[in-house]
Amino acid sequence: MAKRPPITNRVKELREAKDQMSQSALAKEIGVTRQTVIAIEQGKYSPSLESAFRIARIFGVGIEDVFGWDGD
Amino acid sequence: MGFRELSAGIMASLLTLLGLYYLNAVVSAAQTLDAVPAPSVPLIAVTTALLVVGAIIAHTVVAAVSPDDANAPEDERDRLVLWRAGNISGLVLGAGVFAGLWHFVFKSDGNLFFHILVGSLIVAQITEYVCQIIFYRRGV
Repeated sequence: MAKRPPITNRVKELREAKDQMSQSALAKEIGVTRQTVIAIEQGKYSPSLESAFRIARIFGVGIEDVFGWDGD
Repeated sequence: MGFRELSAGIMASLLTLLGLYYLNAVVSAAQTLDAVPAPSVPLIAVTTALLVVGAIIAHTVVAAVSPDDANAPEDERDRLVLWRAGNISGLVLGAGVFAGLWHFVFKSDGNLFFHILVGSLIVAQITEYVCQIIFYRRGV
């Protein structure tokens, strides 16, 4: 069974802080589907490094302000 | 539920139903003949045609309900899900082929070999679609 990745994120929090940006709009800007944005926000999927950088740039923050490590 | 997850669910359901239909037809023929029946081209053709027609109808309906989802290209998560599900499916197919080959070595029954391969193909495809649903739902 797929294990949850030990990576936390603040995507939902940052998205809502950015004028209540919709999941669809964020997905379009990153170049993924809305389902993938939902999976990222729920912690079910860790995005690729490229997508992680894209997300950070969209919110105008550093990548470590969006993603954190929650493992050993 | 996204289009691809729904699509996998439709295909898994269709393949399960048609797999059972195929299995039932083969078992019935075997009971009548009291031997493993030879591969039946009409049975395979009917099963394949039902699968294709069923898949087209179901996907058309789903795509009409959510056209944006249906038209969206595969993204990085889709590719990972498809790759992992395909990998597991390949192992299932390999195990089925391996079992069929060894069965043929000891029994030399070409008809049974054929049915084992068709069954393995169907089970492997169902496994692939079920794994896709699991990975989409539980994470990948």
